[in-house]
Amino acid sequence: MADHAIGHSVPEARPGMRFRLEGLGTAAVVALAWMALIAISAIHRPDFLSHQTILAIAFTMSIVGVLAVGQALVGISGGFLDLSQPTSLILTALAASRLLAAGLDPAFVIVLTLAIGALWGFANALIIVHGKLNPVIVTLATNFIGLAALFLVFQIAEAPIDSGFRAFGRGSFLGLPNIWWPMIALVLVVGFFLPRTRYGRRAIAVGGNRFAAQARGISLRKTRFAIFTASGVCAGIAGLLFAASSGPFTPASGTVYLLPVIAASILAGVSLAGGRGNIWLILLSVGFLSTVPTSLVFFGLSSDWQAIFQGAILIVAVSIDGYREKWVAR
Amino acid sequence: MKGKSSSPLHALAVVAAATTVLGVGSVTGAGAQDKFKLGMAVGGNPCCEWMKAQGDVARALAEQRGWDYMELSNNDDAATALKNAGIFIQEGVDAVIQFNGQPSANPALAQRFASANIPVVTYDIAQPGFYFVGIDNLAAGLAGGEALGNIIKEKWNCEPDLVISAEGASAGIVNEWRTGGMRDGLKKVCPDIPAEKWVSFESQGQATVGLPAARDLLAAHPDAKRMAVVGLNDGGVLAAINAAEQLGRADEIIGWGQDGAFITGDNVNPHLAGSVFYFLEGYAVYALRDVIDPIAAGNPPPLKDTAGDPASRVQPCPVSAEEAAKVPDMPERVKMLLEAPPGTTEYELFCPSA
Repeated sequence: MADHAIGHSVPEARPGMRFRLEGLGTAAVVALAWMALIAISAIHRPDFLSHQTILAIAFTMSIVGVLAVGQALVGISGGFLDLSQPTSLILTALAASRLLAAGLDPAFVIVLTLAIGALWGFANALIIVHGKLNPVIVTLATNFIGLAALFLVFQIAEAPIDSGFRAFGRGSFLGLPNIWWPMIALVLVVGFFLPRTRYGRRAIAVGGNRFAAQARGISLRKTRFAIFTASGVCAGIAGLLFAASSGPFTPASGTVYLLPVIAASILAGVSLAGGRGNIWLILLSVGFLSTVPTSLVFFGLSSDWQAIFQGAILIVAVSIDGYREKWVAR
Repeated sequence: MKGKSSSPLHALAVVAAATTVLGVGSVTGAGAQDKFKLGMAVGGNPCCEWMKAQGDVARALAEQRGWDYMELSNNDDAATALKNAGIFIQEGVDAVIQFNGQPSANPALAQRFASANIPVVTYDIAQPGFYFVGIDNLAAGLAGGEALGNIIKEKWNCEPDLVISAEGASAGIVNEWRTGGMRDGLKKVCPDIPAEKWVSFESQGQATVGLPAARDLLAAHPDAKRMAVVGLNDGGVLAAINAAEQLGRADEIIGWGQDGAFITGDNVNPHLAGSVFYFLEGYAVYALRDVIDPIAAGNPPPLKDTAGDPASRVQPCPVSAEEAAKVPDMPERVKMLLEAPPGTTEYELFCPSA
């Protein structure tokens, strides 16, 4: 049934098939590494297996997971990386905080925040497409510009502390943080639809070989607009979750997310060359990466070690990606 | 030939235009040279709202005096601070106020300014050769720690499950004075808290940046219920409080911060029991009143460059959350400060215990 739903043309069907079948090896490796980390930590400190640990890891997963979906979409479609996520995260968090403080209806605030995120992504795409520029350079530049502009607008912001929005951000449902559920929903939905819809398969095809995709009539421009706008929407969702769950934030508060988000995306098997990756695997990679810092604390290591481990994991993941590319090329 | 002959003129025009636009060597008139020129290097650390306000107040006070004012941001970076020193010297400022977010650069900065014979005021971190204006950070830490200790004694009979320190290692000695001072102040009131109850995490002085580390620390102490938090500043302390809220353990967490950044306004966390105001945004009042004004008048004061014997001492102002509710928020304080008679400090205007 799924094969039937892939599309009308054979050329478009191939990337989708390959897309869905691959990643099993990556999933196994990451899952094994995660389980091993949990087991070692639990042997060292049996109280590692507590509800508090699950909550701590799940909170860490939430925002990183949402941003990683946007990052993975950009990567799979051949855009390499969206380096403007730290700014779009804070821009949307600021918008949500200010609009809520102004007394606007939360539902309206959510819609408006997502629209701002989408607009940010659309603006990135506009520069990339019409300037015919490298997406990495463009998003790096817009991140700098956006950050500087944010500093002109505010120094510290925070969503109203007594609002239902903040209560949602602090609360839990079925033993897991409220903000974890939108993340899992997003991963599952995007992971399901990406290889099963025409737009999704086109994004994969453009990432795999843009010249071949263009030869088949797939518009690179439209794909870029769709993907970067979607990445902006992901940043909008992350901004909402961030504003709801975090305390006072500054324009630079988003920068700490970039490294774990990129690491999570690559560790999930998203190819830096584009055309390959499985969104569902983000759950495993984000889960593993979010467990590392918590585990380090149980081993008595300071949080300073976190960046060292994340950086090392990123290098390993990139190396595996490079090896995989060579293997595929053979 | 025509092209050749016009090139030097063209180049001259370009240089002249560039010089005008960049303002290089623009102080040419006798009047401009006579005007006192104050340079201000703001910290540029994104952590805190008061960093920008420090420059705003200095600018306003300089303008009140009819001085020229030049502001540069050190962008929380030692290399930028050094570069900015070169610009101040090149621009011929008569005195500089230097917020020292990057104390590692201070010796080199001192050397540069000394060779240019430019007097420098430093805030809060002493440097030989710089006029010291600031708080006694250790005294501020001790005061905050004692205040929190009194609450813990009353509520928990000095028997907390955890005392959490929200460190900010990059602040160097200031972190040791403030966070360590708070621990010592707390020990004065509650001397018998066992060593294993004292734990730390790196907050970087920011609520959101320190949040994951604080969450992990609390997860590693799942049975701790009664938790006290001290730290470098309000932001770091809030990181631990927010983590406890996320993990459903906020009922019995009490924090006492430093710097008063998050204890005023209508968005104060109920678990932040108090803080110590330094009114950092208003430091320029002390610097100008006690150092720069006499220099501008041609009577430089004696160089006092240590925290123990400062050129101007800023009074710490410990306040409970209840007391802080009566203190205006920072933008309002700045407005009222600039409307007050010259030389009036924020401590005199706003500290409930003054």
